Amino acid sequence: MTALRGFGVGAFVFLAFALAASKAWALPAAAQDLPTANPLPADVEQGKQSFEQRCSTCHGLDGGGAMGPNIQGIPMRIGAPQVASTIKNGMSGGMPAFGGQLTDAQIQQVIAYLLTLTRKDSGAVTGDAAKGKEVYDASGCASCHILDGQGGDSGPELTKVGALRGPGYLKTTLLYPGSDLPQARVFLETGGLLDYLYIHLVTNEGKTYDGTRVVEDSFHIVIRDAKGNFHSFQKSDLREFKKEPGKSVMPSFKDKLSGAQIDDLVAYLASLKGAQ
Amino acid sequence: MKTLRYAAALGAWMLVSPVYFLAQNVPYDRILHSANEPQSWLTYSGSYNSQQYSPLKQINRENISKLKVAWIYQPSKAVSNLEASPIVADGVMYITEPPSTVTALDVRTGLRLWTWSPTLPEHVVSIGLYATSRGVAILGDSVFIGTADSHLVALDAKNGALRWDVHVADNAMGYAMTGPPLALKDKIIIGSAGSEAAVRGFLDAYDPKTGKRLWRFWTTPRPGEPGAETWGAGAYESAGATTWNNGSYDPDLNLVYWGTGNPAPDFNDDERPGDNLYTCSVVALDADTGKLKWYFQFSPHEDHDWDSDEPPVLFNASIDKKPRKLLGFANRNGFYYVLDRTNGKFIAGKAFVKETWAKGLDENGRPIPAPNQEPTLGAGTLVYPSITGGVDWTSPSYSPDTGLFYVSVHETGAYFIKGTGKIESGPPKGIVGGGGIRALAGEQSYGAIRALVATTGERKWEFKMLAPAWVPVLSTAGGLVFSGTDEANFFALDASTGKPLWEFFMGHSARSNPISYEVDGKQYIFVTAGNTYLAFSLP
Repeated sequence: MTALRGFGVGAFVFLAFALAASKAWALPAAAQDLPTANPLPADVEQGKQSFEQRCSTCHGLDGGGAMGPNIQGIPMRIGAPQVASTIKNGMSGGMPAFGGQLTDAQIQQVIAYLLTLTRKDSGAVTGDAAKGKEVYDASGCASCHILDGQGGDSGPELTKVGALRGPGYLKTTLLYPGSDLPQARVFLETGGLLDYLYIHLVTNEGKTYDGTRVVEDSFHIVIRDAKGNFHSFQKSDLREFKKEPGKSVMPSFKDKLSGAQIDDLVAYLASLKGAQ
Repeated sequence: MKTLRYAAALGAWMLVSPVYFLAQNVPYDRILHSANEPQSWLTYSGSYNSQQYSPLKQINRENISKLKVAWIYQPSKAVSNLEASPIVADGVMYITEPPSTVTALDVRTGLRLWTWSPTLPEHVVSIGLYATSRGVAILGDSVFIGTADSHLVALDAKNGALRWDVHVADNAMGYAMTGPPLALKDKIIIGSAGSEAAVRGFLDAYDPKTGKRLWRFWTTPRPGEPGAETWGAGAYESAGATTWNNGSYDPDLNLVYWGTGNPAPDFNDDERPGDNLYTCSVVALDADTGKLKWYFQFSPHEDHDWDSDEPPVLFNASIDKKPRKLLGFANRNGFYYVLDRTNGKFIAGKAFVKETWAKGLDENGRPIPAPNQEPTLGAGTLVYPSITGGVDWTSPSYSPDTGLFYVSVHETGAYFIKGTGKIESGPPKGIVGGGGIRALAGEQSYGAIRALVATTGERKWEFKMLAPAWVPVLSTAGGLVFSGTDEANFFALDASTGKPLWEFFMGHSARSNPISYEVDGKQYIFVTAGNTYLAFSLP
């Protein structure tokens, strides 16, 4: 059996699965699905109580998954109306309907609380967003990242990155890419596997491949190299298979940009919240 | 003349298909001697001993690489996470579709013969669980199902006509049935879920002909009964210890073995001092009376949600050169136990996954608690295993050919956070008590199929999986072990070595007992994947 399966039928199935998996993490294009209401702290607190009473056994107290999947950032990813509908009506796969237990207002409070579980940190914006846009355009970011429908797609889309990630996290990623990867694919019980995990592998035939993990199961791995090409393997065909959480195909900008330029770029990224 | 011709044609057809839908009569003796008819699958785990083992060997180590999908059945309504273990008898397969639909299929093709659904309330209460069904039981010419709103129903096996419907427990209070009934000679045994709603657990026996209740065993003792001293005042009434999966039966000892769930509230133990009998235990009941013969509590005073509802596995083996009647249990708390099933005495025990909550087991099998492993307020306490334990409800398998006990294990921990809520009277509003867990990241967890020496728990081999899986295990006389990954692979391993021999990506992970049956001289392997039932066979 060849190590590289190419894009035969098996690979096609994997690609379809991989694309479906990655799509779940792509930011929705429609902007009107973001909740526009500004919840009061009391709503968030009430939502927290409802969440801990009805949701946390399956989704974990931090929404990071338990017997059910990781739902951190879910309102940002699929939109608050969809989250409200799912809470109200349940969904196939085991999610009960809570329409009989929670009022619409209480469901909105739960969503307000879910928004606070999104991975954002407390860093403050210090740079100039307008200057940051110039840095973005001049640094080749668009070759790997989509912004408002334009750009390469080997890295995550950035259209709403300011809504999902705080300035401190953005700065860390620019300086030390791969040091704090987001969690992507979710499994029951666990908090999800790392997204954009760096993979180094060598086939039994001695060929070496490096790239980010697109999708993995117990028998197979699909990676994407720096040029954006997919490679699909059976693990039994690999001599070496190494996961390197600290590494990234994204270059560090630590020595490429000045401190001020980094701060400006962070300010620009933090301002990207999609059309409100 | 015409009539004669039809009769001749029918006769010829019957000769070709001698078991085709004709019998539909599965008396107790057939289930009792299920080993004599490996072509059938007559009870949840294949036999009363819950070994999840098939004596069929047409599919074996040599030809497994040729295994292909033979047919697929999809319920008419998208349901996902089908968890039912089918019953196969006389050319018909009986499955369930969540929440509580029973469907009969032509076992050769997967074509639907009939289907029956109950009228459920608009809002079925399902607290701490989802309204699924793990299948039916068959006895005589009836099939039996426990419904999501806690009714036990008997249907005509030939056409799905309703025979009787008994209201077992109050769904509004949180009682909900997910486990399949167990059919004995003249009784249908069934329990209920609901520990997270703080109901009081029980196990019931019903007359298969009339639906009359014959006995009820409450899984928590009343004041004055033995074991009552293991609860705080009044706590037994809303105590959990529910019985939401299938059990096992030893016909010689006439004992029913059943696992029990966690105490309520899960993560707040302030109001329930003591061991909290008979939570997180296996109970052995006299099948005629429902009286407790013995119990063994795996996790006294439990507060990590480690129910003990996996079907107990019964097997006979020699210990110190003496033949013994044994019970094997890979418990959610992370320990594998070997008990004498005649009296419940502990024989051996060993951790089968990483665990940090106990320093080990004492000579009676009672855990020796490790310090500082209780749920705490705030950030919580990191404990191994996680909330779903070393293994949850998914059945293990025992092969009499290898003497090995195969189990799909979860290698992961979690931060356990103490709840502060108290049990309130009246219908429950949600999971009682609060608290819960924070999961570790996925990369810090993995799953495996582990083969344990059934008499000791010593690990013989393991097959690692990317993530902890929720897929039961089947072993066969063909020298194979079937199970699945959480990512959706269904696979076969060499039962002696754990070497992977075959794999099929199903698009969704399995959630039901893989089973095996034979029809027209062809062996099938059968399992679910998401919204789909799949039958595999050789070309």
